[in-house]
Amino acid sequence: MSTKMFKWMRLGVIMLLLAGMFSLAPEQQVQTAAAQNQPSVGMVCTTAGSNPTFTLATQSGYIILPDGNTMFMWGYSLGGQPFQHPGPVLCVNEGDTVTVILQNNLAEDVSIVFPGQEGVLANSAPAQPQFDGSGNLTSLTNVAPPGGSMTYSFVASHPGSFIYESGTHPEKQVRMGLFGALIVRPAMGPDFVYNRADSQFDSNEEFLVLLSEIDPYLNQAVEQGKIFNMNYYHPRYWLINGRGFPDSIADNFTSWLPNQPYGALARIHPWDPNPFLSDGVTPNPAYKPYPGAIHYLNVGTEDFPFHPHGNNGLVIGRDGQPLEGPAGEDLSFEKFDINIGPGQTWDVIFKWYDAEGYNEANNPVPITIPDPANMTYGMFYSGSPYLGVMGPMPVGMSTLNQCGEFYIISHNHALYQITSWGVTMSGPITYLRIDPPLPNMCP
Amino acid sequence: MHKQFSRRDFLKAAGSAAIATIGMQKLSKILLPAEVVKAQGPAPDLYFAGTDGWIYLPPDPPISFFHPDNLAPAPFTTYIFGFRNITGLNSTQISAQKEKAQHNAPLFWVNQYDPANPKDFRMQLTNLGLAVRPDLTDSHTIHWHGFRNVIPFFDGEPTSSISVPVGQNFTYIYRPREPGTYMYHCHVEDVEHVHMGMTGLVFVRPLQDGNTTLYPSGKFAYNDGDGSTGFDREFAMFLSEVWAEAHWADAHIQLPEWSDYHADFALLNGRVHPDTLAPNGSIDPFNPVRDASGDLIPISGYEHLQHQPLSALITCQQGERVLLRFANLGFKEAAMTLAGIKMRVVGRDATLMRGRDGTNTSYETNTLSISAGESFDVIFTAPPHSGGSGPDKYVLYNRSYARSDNLAGGFGGQRTEVHVYPAGSLAAQQYPNDWGI
Repeated sequence: MSTKMFKWMRLGVIMLLLAGMFSLAPEQQVQTAAAQNQPSVGMVCTTAGSNPTFTLATQSGYIILPDGNTMFMWGYSLGGQPFQHPGPVLCVNEGDTVTVILQNNLAEDVSIVFPGQEGVLANSAPAQPQFDGSGNLTSLTNVAPPGGSMTYSFVASHPGSFIYESGTHPEKQVRMGLFGALIVRPAMGPDFVYNRADSQFDSNEEFLVLLSEIDPYLNQAVEQGKIFNMNYYHPRYWLINGRGFPDSIADNFTSWLPNQPYGALARIHPWDPNPFLSDGVTPNPAYKPYPGAIHYLNVGTEDFPFHPHGNNGLVIGRDGQPLEGPAGEDLSFEKFDINIGPGQTWDVIFKWYDAEGYNEANNPVPITIPDPANMTYGMFYSGSPYLGVMGPMPVGMSTLNQCGEFYIISHNHALYQITSWGVTMSGPITYLRIDPPLPNMCP
Repeated sequence: MHKQFSRRDFLKAAGSAAIATIGMQKLSKILLPAEVVKAQGPAPDLYFAGTDGWIYLPPDPPISFFHPDNLAPAPFTTYIFGFRNITGLNSTQISAQKEKAQHNAPLFWVNQYDPANPKDFRMQLTNLGLAVRPDLTDSHTIHWHGFRNVIPFFDGEPTSSISVPVGQNFTYIYRPREPGTYMYHCHVEDVEHVHMGMTGLVFVRPLQDGNTTLYPSGKFAYNDGDGSTGFDREFAMFLSEVWAEAHWADAHIQLPEWSDYHADFALLNGRVHPDTLAPNGSIDPFNPVRDASGDLIPISGYEHLQHQPLSALITCQQGERVLLRFANLGFKEAAMTLAGIKMRVVGRDATLMRGRDGTNTSYETNTLSISAGESFDVIFTAPPHSGGSGPDKYVLYNRSYARSDNLAGGFGGQRTEVHVYPAGSLAAQQYPNDWGI
């Protein structure tokens, strides 16, 4: 349908209005404080030194969706911080003893399970599933009662990407937003995904893709204190890092999404393994020998087949386990469709470069570039096929492109899920932004 | 005829570009007349058009309001958007293909780019508009799904590059450096255009092809170095879906609520069983056969499949190695099960099943779970013929049973058969999915 531009304009207006509203709210100042020293693009790690202790408090609040709707959610926030969605990305080191103090501000029992961690303690005793007096399972682990707390701890014994989420009525509580990511850095260092030399990545290019879903009627029932019949559960929204496109490509901690701090834009430079220019002497300013890394996590209830255009992911680990054989054989595999299952985590490294090395001066694209009047131009297009070049726009059109950078889309390929209860081309979509090699003119 | 027309068409395009150049010269270097001259260069290897059209799905049982569509011309039932191969047609014939789209989109393949013998694959795309929805002036693109390290200009994602408005043309250049099975689709209004049927399968033949030492046929799925992906016959198995309400909505100027999505029909090579077993129409993209108007020629006895020309029947002789190339551009995961013959997965997402250190990660299975947007290359060896008359038959079907029936239960949907003949029964394949009968 050709109503897309209208939708964008409408979204823009909504965002401006919301930004105006929330700029008055005290929460934003806290968020801004939290945003200090954090990257505007890329995975935002919450750290607390070695053998860290994190206080996670359950909160309720609202998020903003691409159709202009707002949604009542629950979430884990760092102690003393307002509601955020999703929970903080906890980054720890292999071997750390990790302590998580759960403070419960909700009116029902909540908990946290750490799938992939062994030997989890709850208040210093082995964490145990909970049963009622009749032997019915009530929680997958020990709970924090309303107004109370529970302290979990475990040794992060192996590196990888993990989910943490509620283990209490998870069919409701996880769907309400009680989830987050846990990244365990390997002993080899923070620029490795696993303890394998071939898992090294460029630490400036580390990204999170946390995929989730929302049935608005479930959230409405919870907000109004009503019963929700789980047989009618039917997601209408799908999100990436707690946002839907186009919010997904806004910066981390952007002001108009005060409770959705995590963007999903990936911003990189082209992979270039040559340390020297062709003379073999002059250092190559574009030298970028390591791939980027993406941690994919699915907290939804069905497979999400995520498709990165133009840069296949090399899957090097799943569920916090490196893909290797008993003798260290490499069992990694390249995918253009990261079909991540519910509760799974996939660790992927990727390289983007122009396989043809097209450039305006001496390797032009072998077609006539059409007159702008004869083509439909996208709003992120630079007007030129070449990286770092801006070309003319059709009369009356402006571009969001800043410096001839490339944008390459990534999205869920179960395409009915890149909608937001009626607004198509939203939901779990993001872009890979490829800046021209340094030095460049990009802001 | 073909060359004459292509040249004239390019000259036309060049002319309009030249006029624009006069006005635009001060704005940019990219419209230099020198490049306009190049437009008279190579003819496209293939020339596709995006438009709308009609296909046939079993009308019984009906789905209230939505199926069969009351606007559908007999014998068809279902409104689609789609592509057609218009390579070699004249401009009158091309115009006549509006509302004559096919599903799935034409199967095509490209040889792996050989740096020692460089040759661009040129895919020209035009947009004929939508006859049933003249109010919709959607552009179209070709997105080659899975193509690695491509610039946005040739990726077909419209927001980050350009797309082709009604009446215009664009030529995509492909230098595929990685063999395997891919898929392609229009990426404009992705949710709608993909579901409406602008989807097809494309694969890349490896440089290793022709090496009869590694495997006698000299045909391979990948550059395996050991012949493990050699095959005698190959069949594309393309999965797509039809949610009748969404297709009806597009014909009737309505919008569906996409989060209500479900697959009423699950299609294999654009058809549902038992039509999957019907003969091929003209499916060799490089030697297309059309009627005088340029339209596809109805298949005798299967006239309802005029715009669904790709058969899914798998024919082979005992002992032969058969390559099945699966790609799924439906929105749901499929579970394709081959009863009675084990399959070896040799490739996935156009990647040979090998670790970076060469570790063999291929495996045998009877069921493939294929996600939306995923591809698999599997090879099976045809078992010995039992000796009776006619071929031995094996069934390939979607283990998600709701998608291997046609609404009414029973057998339908994503279901086909493997027919195994005694040695010496079949001719060599002339092109993929050729029965050899």
